[in-house]
Amino acid sequence: MFSYDFMQNAFIAGTVVSIVAGIVGTFVVARNYAFLTHSLSEIGFAGAAFGLFAGWPALLGMMLATSGASIAIGALESSYTKRDNVTSAISALAIGLGILFLALGHTSTTAATGILFGSVLGISRQNLLLLLTLALVVIVTLLINYRALRQLAFDEAGIFLQNSRQKMVRYIFLVMIALSVSISSQLVGSLLIFVLVTLPAASAKYYMTTPPKLMGLAILFALFGTWSGLSLAYLTNLPTSFFIAVIEVLIYLFSVWQFQKNA
Amino acid sequence: MGIIHTKDFGIRYGEKIILSQANIDVPAGRFFAVLGENGAGKTSFVKSLIHQNHQTTGELHLNTTRVGFVPQFRDITRDYPLSINEFVALNYNKGWRLWLNPQEKLDVQEALRLMDLSNIAEKRLGLASGGQKQRAFVAQALVQRPNLLILDESTASLDHEHKVQLLKTIKQLQKTQNLTVLFITHELKLVSQFADGYLFFENGRVTQGDTDELQSLTMKITHIHEEDEVRHV
Repeated sequence: MFSYDFMQNAFIAGTVVSIVAGIVGTFVVARNYAFLTHSLSEIGFAGAAFGLFAGWPALLGMMLATSGASIAIGALESSYTKRDNVTSAISALAIGLGILFLALGHTSTTAATGILFGSVLGISRQNLLLLLTLALVVIVTLLINYRALRQLAFDEAGIFLQNSRQKMVRYIFLVMIALSVSISSQLVGSLLIFVLVTLPAASAKYYMTTPPKLMGLAILFALFGTWSGLSLAYLTNLPTSFFIAVIEVLIYLFSVWQFQKNA
Repeated sequence: MGIIHTKDFGIRYGEKIILSQANIDVPAGRFFAVLGENGAGKTSFVKSLIHQNHQTTGELHLNTTRVGFVPQFRDITRDYPLSINEFVALNYNKGWRLWLNPQEKLDVQEALRLMDLSNIAEKRLGLASGGQKQRAFVAQALVQRPNLLILDESTASLDHEHKVQLLKTIKQLQKTQNLTVLFITHELKLVSQFADGYLFFENGRVTQGDTDELQSLTMKITHIHEEDEVRHV
């Protein structure tokens, strides 16, 4: 299996994406940002479609769209509007635009499917390098701001000094989610982002009680799904995203069941 | 001059005057009840203490930088993952270190001990009782060793027994740690057994008094409430 270049690339990409998703996901789940993350992936779809229409790499279009949208959502969130409503409005607009750009760009069905469902087996060395760089940026940025982020995600009410540094951390967090969504979509596609960013971290929270351990277990769950998914896809010739989705959902359901049984 | 001192202090939001001509002086190491109806300016005043209000007039002196704050609302669901120990450590919100340094670890242990949580430090906060949760909230505020502790309606969600227990613990802290306590509450009767003094917010003004007057204030306010109730009937 590893004698093929494309399988090597896919495993490296899968590993990197799982690590990023596990770390970011822990904060996303703690802050109840699952819905926002899902919407960002829809916005990412629009960005990718625009990218293809404009003749850019899809990932670049995706990054620009998700980062822009996350900043917009952050700005609106701090006023009195309800977060979920703002997010729905922006993502509805995004999907509409995505469909428009796909039509205008006469994009092939393969390219469109790639954006929506992922195309990990088609990742090139060049794409891989970009992916690794982005992953490194996300991980380093999150770790530098670890403690402020930890408080924001796990206990926002406890922040009573709303200084400019705190506001900055909010935006940094949102942009890092946006970048993670863009990176993860390379693997599972924009429709299934929450399979890697939300589900492993949501499962981990039923077992672990400290943030580093939550991140660790979330990474393990994500890696397990990704590696098994890639292997099964190789053996069966069925889509990778399908296997990853099934595995992560099963882990999640088992975790909830365990927790309810014991608690 | 006390730990909190104001001179002709006022707060407004745009055209609306929230508080005016406030002249108070809270001595260090006292337990003060902060009283008044909703919207009377209690929260705005507290916000000013931690520099969150910009439209202020007059003078406000806060003679400490170590302030602990226990907010009114916190949404801790059953599946909230962190242990009580980790929740208390969230107050360390600067820097990147993933684990606590030895001094921070000691301070967390001390805060847990003061709030009688040491034996359930590893328990998931989501699965803790209402009383245990409130104690964990206070412990989190204590972790950076404040001189001034502000509690916003911390007893509101508890049953009577736990209310008294929490207030006793805080009273104990005030004495042993020489802590100044501002306890925002509607439960005048309850808090009057513990407070040394009060700040009473009414119609954009604040009055300060000591324990004896607190008793008569209790009577006065209870009386007003009773009249209200009679009128409603």
